[in-house]
Amino acid sequence: MKLFRNKILLLPAFVFLALPFYGFMTAIVQSLGNEEPLSHYWDLLDSDRFLASIAFSIRTAGIATILSIAIGLLLIRSFYKILVQLSPRLRVWIPMLFPHFVWGYMVILLLGESGIFSQIAVVSGWMESQADFPIWTRDRYGIGIIITYVWKEVPLVILLLLPVYSSIRPEYYALVDTLGGNGWNRFTTVELPHLLPVLVESFLIIFSFSLTAYEVPALIGTTFPEMISVLGYEWFYGSSWDDRPLAFASMVSISIFLLILTIIGYTFLNRTRLKAMRGGK
Amino acid sequence: MNQTTLEIKNMTKNYKSETVLNELSFQLQQGEILSIVGPSGSGKTTLLRVLAGLEEPTNGSIFMYGEEITKQKANKRDISLVFQQPLLFPHMTVMENIVYGAKISKKYKKEKTDALLTAIGMGKYQDHFPSEISGGQQQRTALARAMATEPEVILFDEPFSSLDPSLRQDLRYWVRNFLVKQKTTAIFVTHDMEEAMIMGDKIAVFTEGQFQQIGKAKTLQESPANLLVASFMGGNLILSEEEYISLQEITLSPPTDRKADRIYEATLLHVTYQHARPIAHLHIHSLDEKVSLPLQHEDELQENVTIYIPDSEVRRFHEEGR
Repeated sequence: MKLFRNKILLLPAFVFLALPFYGFMTAIVQSLGNEEPLSHYWDLLDSDRFLASIAFSIRTAGIATILSIAIGLLLIRSFYKILVQLSPRLRVWIPMLFPHFVWGYMVILLLGESGIFSQIAVVSGWMESQADFPIWTRDRYGIGIIITYVWKEVPLVILLLLPVYSSIRPEYYALVDTLGGNGWNRFTTVELPHLLPVLVESFLIIFSFSLTAYEVPALIGTTFPEMISVLGYEWFYGSSWDDRPLAFASMVSISIFLLILTIIGYTFLNRTRLKAMRGGK
Repeated sequence: MNQTTLEIKNMTKNYKSETVLNELSFQLQQGEILSIVGPSGSGKTTLLRVLAGLEEPTNGSIFMYGEEITKQKANKRDISLVFQQPLLFPHMTVMENIVYGAKISKKYKKEKTDALLTAIGMGKYQDHFPSEISGGQQQRTALARAMATEPEVILFDEPFSSLDPSLRQDLRYWVRNFLVKQKTTAIFVTHDMEEAMIMGDKIAVFTEGQFQQIGKAKTLQESPANLLVASFMGGNLILSEEEYISLQEITLSPPTDRKADRIYEATLLHVTYQHARPIAHLHIHSLDEKVSLPLQHEDELQENVTIYIPDSEVRRFHEEGR
């Protein structure tokens, strides 16, 4: 393969990839334990705490990802002509400059029961007391986590989709119009085929991150159900050493799940029709 | 007598202070093909976009079969546009591209799209994606897709400009025959006079936002309305704003059979060959005009030449021909 002819050039990349690979392999070994193989995985399936956590995590990360992509897509569709200019584009990307932890803290300050919004609601007379303000942080539905991720990831979606919209030739819209098409036809025929690869990749990136990242759910999530990353951390650093293999088993399971999801995503993108978009078959 | 398919009355299009289309009026009969020829940037594409409904005219009206369609949106008009580039949808096969045109305009019949596919000679490639076929095949597919919407009028915006010359030549005749066979009313925009003559029943010379003259190629060649038409047609030497002479009547030596009343000095710029004949490209100093004269003998060539013009062959522009 041409890529491997200059093996020396790939060495830094291999060294870099070797570290997470080593970590992953170690995690697999640790998750298997010394007893019956896969016993910790069976334990996971018997654990109500794990099953509740995984369901909550997939649901929360899924909603946050879909909302981020939908809102990002809507914003870029409506404003991409403005966003190609530097100044508006930089303003949209401001949330990307802050760490997730900071953004989560800001959501607590704004939307917590004693936060700024609840104070405004009481002062303006909308609510009698701050206790009437809905629980949006450390709530059992993960609303605070979802709001934090959506707020943080929408600019990322815009960043990823902007080059796609800039590359669509406007003549295609005129073509659909002259063939008798409407706005929906413009979107499905002209935009969607260009967007699909980026949407699939954006979904994989945002979903993988929000499913497994620790800081936001640790800061703004509740104790039950907790996100899988929080549960894994507790199992790893908990008082009982017996739980540590469960932490490895849960993280390995998530990695395999994400790997399968990625393979499905890229298999979809490798369909003949989408390859033809890129000029090949 | 043929019915009037498309009628344009006093159409004007302004962009800020610039007038791109200036009080245009013309008619197209059913099955007629009109070539519009003009230099780049003269507003030809704007004219097509206004006719297709992609842009609104500043003033004036458009009628189709007597019904006003000026305010009608592009997707409601029975007018298709074939663009400079084929603009096939890259994720659809040849057949899907054609069927898309028919389905989107709610005029899909399998027999019809099959017939179109056969007519453009793409049956063998129906399952190919645009990236797998040549530029000419792509443009033929784009034409079939536009035809599949069964438009009353089809507009062509320099559809061959991105093709190489030999392919362009073949496709010109193919499209012309196709349109004639389908009895389709069409407007064909180009900046190439030869292409305009091949494609159109009539030719409209379009510059400065106006039709300078509309007529058959022979009329435009023999009786140009003004110097813009004469210079665009080529084959003439413009002597003044009122006079011109056909290049055929100019000689590089004193004529033996008649009197040469006007004599001009010129410099030989270059020699090229066309149809196996040498062509001298000359600059006439006093007129500040460049002309290309076919030569009988290469030995006529010198750096400085004298050209002879008989007064009897000098013609005046026919403004009434507009």
